[in-house]
Amino acid sequence: MLKVKNIIKYYGSNMAVDNLSFEVQNGEIFGLLGANGAGKTTTFRIIMGLLDANHGSVTLDGKKIDYKLVEKIGFVTEERSLLTKLTVNDQLIYYGILKGMSEDEIVKKMDYWLDRFKISEYKNRKIKELSKGNQQKIQFIAAIINDPKLLILDEPFTGLDPINVKMFKEAILELKDNGCSIIFSSHQMEHIEEFCEKLVILVKGKVVLEGYLNDIKKEYQKQNIFIQGDVDVSKLEKIAGVLEVVQNSGEYVVRIVNKDVVKNVFSIVSKFENITKFVVEEASLNEIFISKVGESYEK
Amino acid sequence: MRNKFWYLTGVSLKKKIKTKWFLIANIVLCIGILLITNIDSVISFFGGDFNDDINIVVVDETNYNASAIFKESLNSTNILLGNESKTNIYISKDTEENEIDKVVDTDKILIVFNADEDVYVTAKIISDDIIDSIYYNTLIQALTLTKTSIAMSLADVDAALLTKITSPINIERVLLDNDVSEDESMNIIMSTVFPTIIMPFFVLVIFLVQMIGAEINEEKQTRSMEVIISNVSPKVHFFSKVLSANVFVIVQAVLLILYALFGMFIRFNFSGGSTISNGLTSGVNSVVEMLNSTGFMDKLIFIIPLTIVLLILSFIAYSLVAGILASMTVNMEDFQQIQTPIIFVSLGGYYLAIMAAMFKGSILIRILSYIPFISCLLSPALLVIGEVGIVDVVVSILMLCGFIFVAVRYGLKIYKIGILNYSTDRMWSKIFKAVKVKDI
Repeated sequence: MLKVKNIIKYYGSNMAVDNLSFEVQNGEIFGLLGANGAGKTTTFRIIMGLLDANHGSVTLDGKKIDYKLVEKIGFVTEERSLLTKLTVNDQLIYYGILKGMSEDEIVKKMDYWLDRFKISEYKNRKIKELSKGNQQKIQFIAAIINDPKLLILDEPFTGLDPINVKMFKEAILELKDNGCSIIFSSHQMEHIEEFCEKLVILVKGKVVLEGYLNDIKKEYQKQNIFIQGDVDVSKLEKIAGVLEVVQNSGEYVVRIVNKDVVKNVFSIVSKFENITKFVVEEASLNEIFISKVGESYEK
Repeated sequence: MRNKFWYLTGVSLKKKIKTKWFLIANIVLCIGILLITNIDSVISFFGGDFNDDINIVVVDETNYNASAIFKESLNSTNILLGNESKTNIYISKDTEENEIDKVVDTDKILIVFNADEDVYVTAKIISDDIIDSIYYNTLIQALTLTKTSIAMSLADVDAALLTKITSPINIERVLLDNDVSEDESMNIIMSTVFPTIIMPFFVLVIFLVQMIGAEINEEKQTRSMEVIISNVSPKVHFFSKVLSANVFVIVQAVLLILYALFGMFIRFNFSGGSTISNGLTSGVNSVVEMLNSTGFMDKLIFIIPLTIVLLILSFIAYSLVAGILASMTVNMEDFQQIQTPIIFVSLGGYYLAIMAAMFKGSILIRILSYIPFISCLLSPALLVIGEVGIVDVVVSILMLCGFIFVAVRYGLKIYKIGILNYSTDRMWSKIFKAVKVKDI
């Protein structure tokens, strides 16, 4: 289990991380979200021991993270951290040995993952000769080749097509099932919604929202009603509790302040003709993120 | 499980040595050194004017038999100066005007002797083109000797006495101060031999600085530094870079020495027969002989080990500074700019070492010889010419050790902050803050 407790980090007089705490259980995927410059990379660096926090502690299974423990951690950075002049084989052996593995063990694991990601034929190619997507696969393999206990994924799906994203997701879920604690960061909220049970949203180093995704969605009262048919938008907009009505891809999306407004909307919509769809959904994480991050920025 | 330090060092070294560019560079270097060490044979092989005999026509308008005396004088001057060019002297009975017509558009040299009431004899040197400066000086010496001989003869000095008078003086150089460990001939070494010996070191320093900068910047630019430093400490990473770069430079130095030895082997065993080559060989031999006679060769027993220690420590100091500077930069262009002062300091040391013999007794140069980076070039130079003693070189070594200690102690703090820093904003402020950090 990863435990981040009250970490504070200053860069000069600027506070990059302000009293951040969270826990990631074994076999749990945790979302660390925030706009650019929110303090995510700093947090990752503190967890990896690359930076010292001014205050607070980070432990993995109760032990302070040091150079013996980092061998059990995998890290996919936002930029591709690969030595582009090396071959795939040399690069994976290089990172594997730095993680304390033997060369035989690395080769065995490398062959398995290269085969699984369908890039075995590139084993002796130089990294710089590979496509961005394939480079990302190599970076991912380098991070998981040591069967990590903690895996940090900073924008892992960058440059990947949907088929490869699916491959990655399967691999991540497999690691989760094997008890790996995973911290996931992405600006694509649909990935976070799909993966993370728990999350934290940072704004300028401060936590503006945290908790289990389901609880967050429940607490965030605003909902959306998706309607298809002949709708009189002006009538809907007059209903108390309706925030806005927008037309989107042949359907109307009615944003409401809370679920109590649903019956009032339904009673009006039922009078319209040709209604083929009336679906009530919780607000998406994307909306919650924009709402929370936007509010904090305004403050 | 492999030791990560040795693994990183091995990978870094392999990246430098196991490349086609290393191979190509060394093939070019080897060929270059073989050509330089046998340059006279190479020049002779392609031929040129220097291979031609020198033809001198003498018109003697005196009654002193100046032409015959000149012929003898020129031969003895040639031998004395080690000038092995073949000279043909023709004594002409024709007039000066007629001989001038024959010299036009040829390589011939026309020498005309005229009698003079005041100074016995005067001479004209006439040629179509400029005469090689060394040979021109030989001619002047031979002409002066001719005039002296004529003057002596007119003063009734016999031939045996004349030979005794004109032969060079035998000099025995005696130094009364035992602490003075060289004589005036060391100037020749300092101005000819020493710059040649230390030049490769200067080039290797540039190699060293560039290599460390390129490697660290590559890891920073690709952001692989983040992954590497999350698995090994900055200290391990830093020292692996320093060690691999130093091993590489030492390997390269050894290879350069081997190429030079191979070149000399070819020179002494296969490239004989060339006039220039023979001249140079005898020149080298005479320098070696002179060094032996001054006791310099005996002193090499301590000069060589001290110089090697200084060089190795200087390589380490240069690589530490290069590593620290590279960690502070974000790309190779920045590094090129920030490393320029190091190269200039090294260049300054090189010039000072060459010029040391010209400023004997200079306190400033003596003080500069203790300063790290300069000391590796200047201190051995001063030791060779006897300006400093072994104790001074030991002081230089201790100063270098002190510098290395400080560079490691404070440089590592800068390195740890620098390698994960991707911005040049407030760089110096970050460095000063890093230095103040207690633990690393």
